[in-house]
Amino acid sequence: MNAILAATVKTPDIDWGALGPLIALTVGACVVLMTGLLRSPAARTNLVPALATLTLIVAGALAIGQWDSNADVLEEALRMDNLALAMTVLFCFAGVLTVALSLRDLAPRDAGHGEYYALLLVAVMGMVVLASAQNLVTVFLGFEVLSIPLYVLCATHLSSEGSLESGLKYLIIGSVGSACLLYGLALLYGATGATDFDAIAQAVGGGEIRGDVLFLSALALILTGLAFKASVAPFHQWTPDVYEGAPTPVTAFMAVATKAAALAIIVRLFDVAVVGAVDDWAPAMAALAVITMLVGNVGAIGQSSVKRMLAYSSVAQAGYMLVGVIVSTRLGVQALTFYLVAYVLMNMAAFAVIVARERETGLGDDISALRGLGAERPTLAWPITIAMLALAGFPATMGFWGKIYLIDAAVDNGWAWLGVAIVLGSSLSLVYYLRVVAAVWMPSLESSVAVAARPAGARPIMAGASPEADDVADTRAGAVPAGGDTPTASTARGTHEERTDADIGDGRDPSGRDRAADRDHVGRDHRHVHQPEVVLVAVACAAAVLLLGVFPDPLFDVARDVGEAFGNFD
Amino acid sequence: MDVTWYLVVSAAVFSIGMAGVLIRRNPLVILLCIELMLNAANLALIAFSRAHGNQEGQIFALIVMVVAACEVAVGLGLIVAIFRRKLPVDVDELRGLQG
Repeated sequence: MNAILAATVKTPDIDWGALGPLIALTVGACVVLMTGLLRSPAARTNLVPALATLTLIVAGALAIGQWDSNADVLEEALRMDNLALAMTVLFCFAGVLTVALSLRDLAPRDAGHGEYYALLLVAVMGMVVLASAQNLVTVFLGFEVLSIPLYVLCATHLSSEGSLESGLKYLIIGSVGSACLLYGLALLYGATGATDFDAIAQAVGGGEIRGDVLFLSALALILTGLAFKASVAPFHQWTPDVYEGAPTPVTAFMAVATKAAALAIIVRLFDVAVVGAVDDWAPAMAALAVITMLVGNVGAIGQSSVKRMLAYSSVAQAGYMLVGVIVSTRLGVQALTFYLVAYVLMNMAAFAVIVARERETGLGDDISALRGLGAERPTLAWPITIAMLALAGFPATMGFWGKIYLIDAAVDNGWAWLGVAIVLGSSLSLVYYLRVVAAVWMPSLESSVAVAARPAGARPIMAGASPEADDVADTRAGAVPAGGDTPTASTARGTHEERTDADIGDGRDPSGRDRAADRDHVGRDHRHVHQPEVVLVAVACAAAVLLLGVFPDPLFDVARDVGEAFGNFD
Repeated sequence: MDVTWYLVVSAAVFSIGMAGVLIRRNPLVILLCIELMLNAANLALIAFSRAHGNQEGQIFALIVMVVAACEVAVGLGLIVAIFRRKLPVDVDELRGLQG
């Protein structure tokens, strides 16, 4: 008996400090879930988002605190190197913005505030695990911890049919993707006999298994599984449907954070574990990247829903970012990191404006909801203009530097034709990005473009039933619009808008089934929605895109730190 | 016994699962087929684990089982929510988002 009491348990060596961000997120998710059970509605609607924000800020701060420490955690299951830390900060940042966009959304009210924000925190945790994974088991675990909460989050807007449908679609397609990934990981384990990235890299570097059927099928299946998650063509078909149906704050989160996590694990798996077989996988991935750029940019052109357009645009952006993986050099990793940060900021600005307009107009995410924004709401018009120009890669924005960096990395390692593909893709993307800018600043021109570009077979609505037409009636009755135009000018504009409405009204469907339901919730006086936090998110992200576009040096330094701490390139 | 035979069975099960996801229209059956795909991977993992003589594959398989259970729980919850909203429980009929 005494011997048993005296014996000490040999515990594994765990670096708790390096696990800090994960612990903070886990504890935060539990606390948020429990706070959601409080009786008082005020506590639920205010305290829960506040706690979620606090958790994300703490996790982000803990990640920043260990910059450059590059710790191996849990028997090398995770590596908190600078890439993982930068991604953690990025995910937490995206999470905070998502909380801000969700504050007045219907989805948390439908699903319960505690559940909604706890799921968001768990998804962020899964992303952190995925971005720092250093072992096949951790890869799969992170992948699923990130995906399963997102399936639920997509379906949280229970009163909307589109939300449920998008949740089920995402679940089925996401699960097929994870099954492919898992089978690939199993085959990779079979081919190399190890689940640890370093051991796999050693086995692959040996060269005996390079031509092995098992190994090559493993690479193909893993690439397929990850391509589903990063919405790389031809595995992107779910993206527009899911993005359109999901609540817009969730769409914003999925678009930016999921993509960043998927690319982080692609770069880790392919540029660390199987980098020895780069000649085998790089041509296949380059082909996928080019197809992705083409499919994304062409698909976005005919879309009248801005969320669908941004979905296709995110497909195209995934194609650009894959270039950073294909070149498999330090420069490539640096370019990818820079581009991911830029991508998060640009898309968050755009989605914040869509969220704001969805609540203000009742037109949903249709491009007509943005019409005339320049005259009415400059605080929303400028952010979306900057976001669109940055996504297209205009100079003086982060998007420009991101693309330059990627092209530089491509040319540097003999993939110059991929650089050319990026340039061609970007010029093609101007068609749809500039259409949004035109809609914002030139109402009369936009309406004719939109009529020409609308897809055939769209369902009709009654002209005059749209809230915009009601506005026109208000304006005519003498009410002064929010923009404060002179009565004569607004009446003139009103008459014009009415005519274009009638033109558009016979073919387009700005109020689909669930959008009609949304509109009933929002009410008729859509011009006076008070949502300073959404406007703040839009303005802050757009300002960051511009500021870091003009002075990109701090972010270049971060990217260089990430690249230098990453992998074992020569 | 040679590990190849285990792999043949595992690949067959995976293909059956994939074919089921592609051709069946009831989401419940699709979830079953996804389970088949995951369990095919489990079989491969355990066969490899025996072949290589290390435990990592078995641990992996255990974790996959937990994850598969979570996925099914979420899937069934979604199907119940769709059923309650009186939407068609058929993936070909759920097409409100195509455009």
